[in-house]
Amino acid sequence: MEFFGKIVAAGLMNGAIYGLVAVGFVLIYKSSSVLNFSQGYMLLLGAYIFWSFRAALRLDLLLSLLLTLPTAFLMGIMIERLTLRPLIGQSLLSMISVTIFLSLVLEGVVSLFWGTYPLQQVTIFPKGSLKFGKTILTAESLFAFGLALVVMMALILFFRYTRLGLAMRGVAEGHQIVQSMGISVKRILTVCWGIAGVAATLGGILLGGTLGFQLGLSHIGLLAIPAAFIGGLESPEGAILGGLMIGLIESIVSGYLGKAAGVPATYIVLIVVMLFKPYGFFGLERIERV
Amino acid sequence: MAHTSFYPPSGIYSDSYRKDMRIVKTKTQWLMSVVFLILLFTIPQIPFFNSPYFLRLLIGAGITVIICLGLNILTGYCGQLNIGQSAFVMVGAFTSGLLNSYLGWSFWTCVIPAGLASAVVGAIFGIPSVRLKGLYLALTTLGAQIILTWIALFYIPLTAAGFNVDPIRIGSLVFNTPSKFYYIAMLFTVIMTFFAKNMMRSGPGRAFIAIRDNDIAAEAMGIDIFRYKLFAFIVCTFYAGVAGSLFVHYMMWAHLESFTLHDSIWYVVMIIVGGLGSIEGTIFGVIFIIGLKELIFVIGPMAEGKLPFLPIGAGSGLLLVIIGGVAILFLIFEPRGLAHRWNLFKAYYRLWPFGY
Repeated sequence: MEFFGKIVAAGLMNGAIYGLVAVGFVLIYKSSSVLNFSQGYMLLLGAYIFWSFRAALRLDLLLSLLLTLPTAFLMGIMIERLTLRPLIGQSLLSMISVTIFLSLVLEGVVSLFWGTYPLQQVTIFPKGSLKFGKTILTAESLFAFGLALVVMMALILFFRYTRLGLAMRGVAEGHQIVQSMGISVKRILTVCWGIAGVAATLGGILLGGTLGFQLGLSHIGLLAIPAAFIGGLESPEGAILGGLMIGLIESIVSGYLGKAAGVPATYIVLIVVMLFKPYGFFGLERIERV
Repeated sequence: MAHTSFYPPSGIYSDSYRKDMRIVKTKTQWLMSVVFLILLFTIPQIPFFNSPYFLRLLIGAGITVIICLGLNILTGYCGQLNIGQSAFVMVGAFTSGLLNSYLGWSFWTCVIPAGLASAVVGAIFGIPSVRLKGLYLALTTLGAQIILTWIALFYIPLTAAGFNVDPIRIGSLVFNTPSKFYYIAMLFTVIMTFFAKNMMRSGPGRAFIAIRDNDIAAEAMGIDIFRYKLFAFIVCTFYAGVAGSLFVHYMMWAHLESFTLHDSIWYVVMIIVGGLGSIEGTIFGVIFIIGLKELIFVIGPMAEGKLPFLPIGAGSGLLLVIIGGVAILFLIFEPRGLAHRWNLFKAYYRLWPFGY
């Protein structure tokens, strides 16, 4: 039971971060119906940029965060401008393939500039631990959990209550209608990619703080995809719940069946959900008319 | 010049449907095909070209062509994305390898079962996603890549360590060196290419194209979308399985390292560079990317040596950036791939000197 409590706690902690990355995934899917397979590598690049500010240039924690997040926003915008924008009007297939190739390029950029070995460890959160009965939670993971939840809440409130958020939800409904109402779809898409870049980078920093800065961080992208799908590809709230679910599944399965079983188990769940609930738990069922 | 590929050379009229559907339309094309085939099968005898290094490259290209043909039938003709193709190659390779090393079946008896095993596994993964609209097959095939690799790693004890497979034999002839195996690889490549080319002018091939272009219209015309999408995926994985069987009998062992997610993505790069929905394009794409890769394997270490500020592993990073970058550039600037360039060239040649 003690072991079970421990892995459940760990699963929820990681799940919040998967949820955060999945929100970025959902954001891009909602606005342009592109499955962004490069999310994990955007996370990787963002985390490595943070590491450069924090460890290589030895800047203050807050300052390096303040420098990283705009850079991450810019990274998202650049990716949209250089790769997705020229493909407007092309088939969905090419848009999705471009994100797949983007993941190759981003991984290549990271290993070109930072090498393939794990980087020096950086502490982000204060040390310490909390005890709940028999389960011990490190302050690190609690901070990460809290921060991930706060950021996600902020994003959801942003979608619901700001003008820009409203415009984004409009873009998700249909490009032509929104365009005719005087909202620039291109600008919204750019902002969506920027926010997705920031969300991914935050996830990367939080995970890098606990797991270390290494190329393996990109695997989180592989976990964010089932998280987004299970929650429903159109729903940010669903992404959070999906993230927590995926975190739990991954942690429980890898706790009892060995570490390597975690990720495959989440994909088995993904395929089962696809069979019985093809639009996820919170997704919109598309009814198509000719 | 939009559809130049559909213009035959001057003086060639397709006055019946049969004539219009011919793969080889003119006498020159017949002559060129025969000359090409003869050249293809005499390369191991031609001095200067018959170095083991070059032959190994060609064998690798041949096997990759088979894999990518399957992928192009699915992605290029039917419009479904598959980013787990190398996992299905693995299924074929391990089926063939295990049948050979445990039951002693020869290559000739286990190549078809290997393809079928891949197709069955493919169908299992395909069923949940092909009934959804959109590109959900990309998600399940990504899942297939992860799940199948994990199953192979933990539940097939032999495969994790690698195992020994007999080379291919015909009677007393053993195909165990590159210069001998070359014939087998090219034989299969030619047969599979012809099969793919032929399939695309048959009923199922046209159904695939209809689904790709407009699935609602296709359904309205009476095409069972679920069945044909699944069928395209099964054909795709069958090709992968056959290629896997060839691969395992060529290498005479198999290891998980040969079947990674990266490989799967490379196959997608190859068909996109070559041209989606083009059988010739698949071959061009494979040759282009394999050539590029060899070039970077030469340049990469040189760059790492010359530029000391680059970290360890920068060479592999360079490879990824260039391959990924080339694929993105092709998608943006030449989405129809090298095949389209080839058609433009053919049109130029046919119309010269009046190419306006």
